[in-house]
Amino acid sequence: MSAPRGSARPTPRAHDVGRGVVVEGDRFDGATSTPRPPRRRLDALPYVLVAPVAIFIVGLALVPAAFTIIESFFKVDALDPPTRFTGIGNFVEIFQNHTVMNSVANTAFYVVVGVGVSTVLAIAMAVLLQHPFRGRGLVIAILILPWALPGVVEGILWSGIFDPNSGLINGLVATFHLGAGNAVLLGQNQLLTLALIEVVQVWQITPLSTLLIFAALQLIPDEIYEAAVVDGANQWRSFTSITLPLARPGIAVAMVQALIATLNIFDQPYVLNGAASTGASVTMETYFISFQNLNFGQGYALSLLVALVTVTLSLVVVRFVYRKVEL
Amino acid sequence: MSARRHPLRSVALGLVILWSIVPIYWAAKSALQTESAARSRPVEYFPLHPTLDNFRILLSGQGDVAVGIRHSLLNIVIECTAATAVTVTLAALAAYAFARFTFRGRNVLFYTVLATMAFPPNTTLIPLYRIMSDFGLVNTYTGIVLVYVSGFLPLAVWVLHNYFASIPTSIEEAGRIDGASRMQVFWHLVLPLAVPGIISTALITFLFGWAQFLFPLVLSTDLSTQPLTVLIAALQGRHVVPSTLMSAAGLLAIAVPAVIALAFNRYIVSGLLAGSTK
Repeated sequence: MSAPRGSARPTPRAHDVGRGVVVEGDRFDGATSTPRPPRRRLDALPYVLVAPVAIFIVGLALVPAAFTIIESFFKVDALDPPTRFTGIGNFVEIFQNHTVMNSVANTAFYVVVGVGVSTVLAIAMAVLLQHPFRGRGLVIAILILPWALPGVVEGILWSGIFDPNSGLINGLVATFHLGAGNAVLLGQNQLLTLALIEVVQVWQITPLSTLLIFAALQLIPDEIYEAAVVDGANQWRSFTSITLPLARPGIAVAMVQALIATLNIFDQPYVLNGAASTGASVTMETYFISFQNLNFGQGYALSLLVALVTVTLSLVVVRFVYRKVEL
Repeated sequence: MSARRHPLRSVALGLVILWSIVPIYWAAKSALQTESAARSRPVEYFPLHPTLDNFRILLSGQGDVAVGIRHSLLNIVIECTAATAVTVTLAALAAYAFARFTFRGRNVLFYTVLATMAFPPNTTLIPLYRIMSDFGLVNTYTGIVLVYVSGFLPLAVWVLHNYFASIPTSIEEAGRIDGASRMQVFWHLVLPLAVPGIISTALITFLFGWAQFLFPLVLSTDLSTQPLTVLIAALQGRHVVPSTLMSAAGLLAIAVPAVIALAFNRYIVSGLLAGSTK
């Protein structure tokens, strides 16, 4: 391609745009600055630019999603062919399956604890970073580290912390004479197992929540806080009356990302607790049903339910937490 | 404000930093120890006799575990690099069209692409596996990369769209008046200005690729294409692999994303915020 400015073309030429349609090139088709070209002149260039993305999205996102919706009403079982319509049969089987229902309860725990703890921690960290100080950039760089690491490997890192023989927690317990310090932490007691698995996920998802809330806090002008001090408000009052309400857009987005991550948790329980039912999540059961039992139909139904719950709860969070902020 | 100098602030900041790095530190400590030193009581909080043996085994050993780790490290690098290159290229073209052209169906297309971001990943897991299996793309780089690209495109389009939209149109208008074609304007005027946005998008896409587990677990069942994350999870279940060697493997798996996150955090933070707000 030649350089745009050096080329000696005083007036732009017409562009050949396929389908035999010719568009005058003397007008910039900016979305904001120029009126729409007349209908009959079909401009192919934007379609050409968008086409590859559209093909990917249709072929590898919309079509698969349609598959999931349709086939969840079919018996698709490699061990029990042929594929046949079963109505809500898959859904009924799911609700009668104790293993699946146990994983639903586990996942509910992950969601409630994970969204709650990560949001509270993120608000605290964002407030801590709200005003500039020396070294803030470095703290932010370190803070986002857990977000950047693969969940599976985080499971490996934390299994070093939880290990009965060489782990940090049991080491500290022994050092400070709180006990013998060889306790089996994971897999022993269901509640403790779930809590420790969720700690690892909170470690991963809190950085993004913090950043999102931090960004919302950066939009609050200092004068509001100064005015509050003049009016006699203490720190806590400033926090509850200024910071929290104005951070609501950031908090809402943070909660939605935490919700999606916790509802679909897979890596952490899979690595930390294996296939054991004490920590299994719904996504893990979907995986086992589909790829170990080869009962695709039930897998489709379960993943469809997870998707519906994810979208519904996300909308609920947005509805109740999000507020448009005008400053 | 006096609260900014409050001693509790420093304590709190210290806790935030400790919380973020202690699990990494503990794995690093363990990786530098022998298995017996790691299990010794009282527990060693620092490696008293550090050794690089675990890393030596992983990087030059001939055992199954070491050879597998090295091969899967190569796999993850190939898959993430290819997925990032394809995603950023396609997303940049589409994002530019969405940001700068008026065309029939633009909004419908744009919001459809964005809406797929809301699909939980496992909605499409089973059908994607069956599609890839029908086309003979299970256990191929192509299969993995296609699935990654389809998953990463929406966010990349969104971030780049916002970036292009923030560039003043006057620059492009000047280029057009000087006689450049629309693609010349894009290539020579807009892209150079969009470099920071493209770097952000590329880094975030690469990190997403590196973090993938469930999809490659299903789409690559042998070492020919298994990324490091999948192999490490498989090794974790085998009790023959010493925990200190697992720690070293874990460090190997986080080295690349950790360096990216620390070195380019400004790009990543700005990209994430562009992708998540507005």
